[in-house]
Amino acid sequence: MSLTDKFAHIAALRPARKREVAPPRAADLSPECDRLAQLLGAQIRRNHYGEHLSLQQWYATPEMCTPDARSLSLLLPRGTPEAHAIAESSADPEQWLFLDTETTGLAGGTGTYAFLVGLAWWDAGGLQVEQFFMRDLDEEHSLLLELSERMARRPVLVTFNGKCFDWPLLETRYRMTRAIPSFTPKVHLDLLHPARQLWRLRLGSVRLQELERHILAVEGHALEWSRHDDIDSSLIPEMYFDYLRGGAAEPLAGVFRHNQMDLRGLAALAGKILTLIDSGNGAADAPHHSTHDPLDLYSLSRLLQRRGNPARARELYETALHVGLPHPVERLAQRELAHLAKRELDYTRATSLWEELRQAPKVVKRNAAGILQEDAQRALEAAIEAAEQLAIYYEHRAKQPRRAAELTSHAIAELRGAQLAGGIGAARARRIEGRLARRLARLERHGVIRTTHKLLRAGNV
Amino acid sequence: MSQSLAVRPAQDAVTLARVREIVEQLAARDRSGEILTAVHHIPAREAKFAPMPEWVRAELVAAYGEKGVAELYSHQAAAAEAVRAGRNTVVVTPTASGKTLCYNLPVLNAVLENPDTRALYVFPTKALAQDQLAELHDLSARLGHRFGVFTYDGDTPSDARKAIREQGHIVLSNPDMLHTGILPHHTRWQRLFENLRYVVLDELHTYRGVFGSHLANVLRRLRRIARFYGADPQFICSSATIANPGELASRLAETEFEVIEENGAPAGEKFFIFYNPPVVNRFLGIRRSYINEASRVAQEFLKRKLQTIVFANSRLHTEVLLTYLQQANPMPPGQPPAIRGYRGGYLPGERREIERGLREGRIRGVVSTNALELGIDVGSLDATIMAGYPGTIASTWQRAGRAGRRSGSSCAVLVASSSPLDQFIAQHPDYFFGRSPEHAFVQPDNLEILVNHLKCAAFELPIAANETFGGINVPELCERLSEAGFLHRTGEHWHWTQEAYPADAVSLRSVTSDNFVIVDTTQETEVIGEVDFSSALTIVHPKAIYLHQGQQYHVERLDFEERKAYVKRVDVDYFTDAIRYTQVRVLERAAGDRIVLLPHSPCESSGGADAHAARSHGDVLVRSQVVGFKKIKFFTNENVGDGKLELPENEMHTTAFWLTLERPLVASLPFSVSDRQSGMFGLLHALESIATLLLMCDARDLGTAIGERPPSPGSEIEWDESPGIEAAAALAEKEFFEPNLYLYDAYPGGIGFSEPLYRAHNLLLTKTRELIAGCPCEKGCPSCVGPLGERGERAKEAALEILFRLGV
Ligand SMILES: [Zn+2]
Repeated sequence: MSLTDKFAHIAALRPARKREVAPPRAADLSPECDRLAQLLGAQIRRNHYGEHLSLQQWYATPEMCTPDARSLSLLLPRGTPEAHAIAESSADPEQWLFLDTETTGLAGGTGTYAFLVGLAWWDAGGLQVEQFFMRDLDEEHSLLLELSERMARRPVLVTFNGKCFDWPLLETRYRMTRAIPSFTPKVHLDLLHPARQLWRLRLGSVRLQELERHILAVEGHALEWSRHDDIDSSLIPEMYFDYLRGGAAEPLAGVFRHNQMDLRGLAALAGKILTLIDSGNGAADAPHHSTHDPLDLYSLSRLLQRRGNPARARELYETALHVGLPHPVERLAQRELAHLAKRELDYTRATSLWEELRQAPKVVKRNAAGILQEDAQRALEAAIEAAEQLAIYYEHRAKQPRRAAELTSHAIAELRGAQLAGGIGAARARRIEGRLARRLARLERHGVIRTTHKLLRAGNV
Repeated sequence: MSQSLAVRPAQDAVTLARVREIVEQLAARDRSGEILTAVHHIPAREAKFAPMPEWVRAELVAAYGEKGVAELYSHQAAAAEAVRAGRNTVVVTPTASGKTLCYNLPVLNAVLENPDTRALYVFPTKALAQDQLAELHDLSARLGHRFGVFTYDGDTPSDARKAIREQGHIVLSNPDMLHTGILPHHTRWQRLFENLRYVVLDELHTYRGVFGSHLANVLRRLRRIARFYGADPQFICSSATIANPGELASRLAETEFEVIEENGAPAGEKFFIFYNPPVVNRFLGIRRSYINEASRVAQEFLKRKLQTIVFANSRLHTEVLLTYLQQANPMPPGQPPAIRGYRGGYLPGERREIERGLREGRIRGVVSTNALELGIDVGSLDATIMAGYPGTIASTWQRAGRAGRRSGSSCAVLVASSSPLDQFIAQHPDYFFGRSPEHAFVQPDNLEILVNHLKCAAFELPIAANETFGGINVPELCERLSEAGFLHRTGEHWHWTQEAYPADAVSLRSVTSDNFVIVDTTQETEVIGEVDFSSALTIVHPKAIYLHQGQQYHVERLDFEERKAYVKRVDVDYFTDAIRYTQVRVLERAAGDRIVLLPHSPCESSGGADAHAARSHGDVLVRSQVVGFKKIKFFTNENVGDGKLELPENEMHTTAFWLTLERPLVASLPFSVSDRQSGMFGLLHALESIATLLLMCDARDLGTAIGERPPSPGSEIEWDESPGIEAAAALAEKEFFEPNLYLYDAYPGGIGFSEPLYRAHNLLLTKTRELIAGCPCEKGCPSCVGPLGERGERAKEAALEILFRLGV
């Protein structure tokens, strides 16, 4: 039996999918790789590792934005040492480099290639885009060398999901060369995280294209680019593989265009997020309240609160509540606001918010696109927490231990009810109940009351 | 683990007396002398010590000293010296002989000499790696935490992984994790690979057959990646006793090995008893239930306060034995039971608690699956009872080693089931107690397996045109992979060009990834297992009873397109046996030889005569179709129904060993045509049993068929048209003039069994004769030539007659 026959039975050699035969190249044309260069107006770049393609385009939009150092410091990963100094030195837009890659797969690992690496930076008031492309997989070394040179010139890296995807992938590619060191950016701003904090509640999905549609292309002006004839990005790997195997160059032009739009969207998003935070921060030259959606205001407040501007956060929570928030976000906002007020020893505002939380309906329904189970759960807890906070207040500030004990007993009963209804996890409920029970015991030890027992039994919902 | 001999002379004398008492009592009950087929006394063995080598660093000597290890056993010293000298080493050691020191000592010494040194330990299971972790943590603490030890497996939290990659001097993992988690992400493990000096393969004998053939390819990939980072690791392996540890290690790692077989560890005296349940129906060859017998024997030990471990071969039997023994040993209310169960599926915390309870003596007895066979430290018990032969001699010794680890006396009892292997072992104790006849085989160049790993290799690093990977033509195969769309050639390299991860689709437990998923629909739909394509037709055909961990399932539907079998839990008193119609075509005879009678042959007084038979091995094409099934009642093996099936045909290219009986031999048999046929099928049944014994494999790893010998090897034979169930039956009646008796590898491409069978043909025939002749049944039974109902009345006689004419 011949070897070819042997191979014919091997399941592992069966084609992974049915592939259409690539259209034959026209005989009179130059090789397809140069056809792509012609088609796009790209240039061939050479260095001592070899060649790759480079395509440069300048766009008037999005317009350049100059980040405010204080706002920028709020975008750095929490716990960044010397965040302020780093933000100060990164605020120069000349140092910014936007990056987005197109790859042969989404799973990562050593066998996934970034065949198209798109870069962009502010230039002449607009955006300069440069794309590096491997016409074959052996052009990777020269591409990576040029990429690290570009990055060295602009050490502030800005990506969308680059921390989890693009950058680890590129680092893998550099390591695979065993020769070309990767350039380590001074700062890596991954806009996915602030975008998620700001718009997850309103939009649910914060994919870049969703953000373009709902966040960037609003307020009377459309985007300068159109996604309506954009390619389906899940097809990108196969489009590149087809090209590698001698397929036509034309479909790849769509991939280049897709990548250009992603870069422009990324740059526009950076501007949007920074402006929003500037306004939140109360920067002097920022337009006042560049958002009017109360959900966005709430989200912005959360971001400011978490990242170290509680004073502005408090103001924005007030505004958001004033404009009106849907359940259960309203209760979350009240709870956060009460917390901030308490920190500023504004017990009048704090207690009024806690009382409001006590009045609110007990059943919480989810009713906004991006509201998750955990938000609803947190809101449910807010009423119980309000009772606990009020109890603390009555015990220590208002010196009304009887009222404090009553509230604590109510809180325990409500907690048990919530747990029975499945609105709160058992472990968490145990922890909170432990805390409440200790408080109640202490209040009783100090000779407060016995009625709480009766209350507990009666209130055993 | 401490090597100081905790001498307990008084206690030992008591144990010995009780063991002798039990042995005597069992012997007294055995009036016919057929039950206790062996009472083997293994005398105590003195330790052979060797001094700690001079090159071992003082702090390491001190750390081991604190643990009570001042001297080494001779094999530990020999292994440490071999590793120190840079040789790849395989240490063959029985249970509890301090094998971990054989690799920990040289590895830790190297780490202490140069903190950049890295080592990768590969254990066949996650549990074993976890168990080793404790020992290494203890040493690490004694050495002031100067090295990091971590397990890396599917349970490792993702936030801990980065630290492990950077700081782990010793990483403990398993083949599956290496295959899917480490190698495809080797850039993250750069530090490990750049400094990889040692690869430790523990329990080497478990890497045989399909799993071993996969591991050999994973190691090809591992060495390739190590080379990429400039490392060439040394291998240190440990193995249970098998006949060919050095050969197995060389086949797996594709390099030369030094074998250290002499064992310097001490051992207490041991009784090893073979207990064959009494025959209750001699005509049908039916014996008393071995599960009941095993629990009775176990109870003899338990009631004399001897700490006992009982091994069962399935989860179901574990539960049955556990229930029985717990009832027999009740505890006062509120107290934890004195007898516990232990198997896969128990939570880690529960397992640790049981292990501790056994070590501390709180737990008097444990009933376990093979989960406690390897490594896991449970201290030394007094007795091991095995309900059924564990399948290999090596496993049997490992289980027996659970009792009486170092000193004192202990007892192991093997209670045989009525399966052919159990019966053969029970009746041929010399085979068991002599030098191990068990060989572990792998076939790393099985094309199906190799191609899958070549894909994984390409994902990990583009394949260069001048690379070697196993025994294949790399460029030719890469071209084929390119044509199929997996690779793309650029310059001198082939690159991976698929979105999917190749390793995800490759299971190390099966040959092809073309598997059927078994879906339990009893309550919530739940995937409970997978079977490969070729077994699917016989195991999960519609209406089959599928057994999974002792539970029976009825196959409701087999979805070919989706590769799914939908099953429901049932409790019935029968199992199903697929009626398979199989034809084998010889494609190429790799070697062949006429069988010539030996001088001392029972058949001829003068040797050298032609037996009119031949043996061969080579490539074959197996075409099979499941045409129906039979329902067979448990215990009695009655046929209680059947059904027809219409399933697609399966064609498989594999390797086979076959015996050819030529016309003069067949014609000379003094039997009717149909009795001759019965004899041939009966002989093949017994040959298969003995082959699984020699090859350390399962019955499902081998297939059998009988076919007319083609006019000349390699020539085309006509396939018969696909038959119905009646035609298949008729075909079995057809007279064979010159039959070939095939034993083929049940995996596409073969898994390396055929050539060894060809080589061991004399042993194979001799042991087959012993199996059939030694069986106490009258006219054949499932333990020898197969169930009587399926064979003719004279199957046993005819099979023996054929063997006689073959000179055995
Ligand atoms: Zn028999």
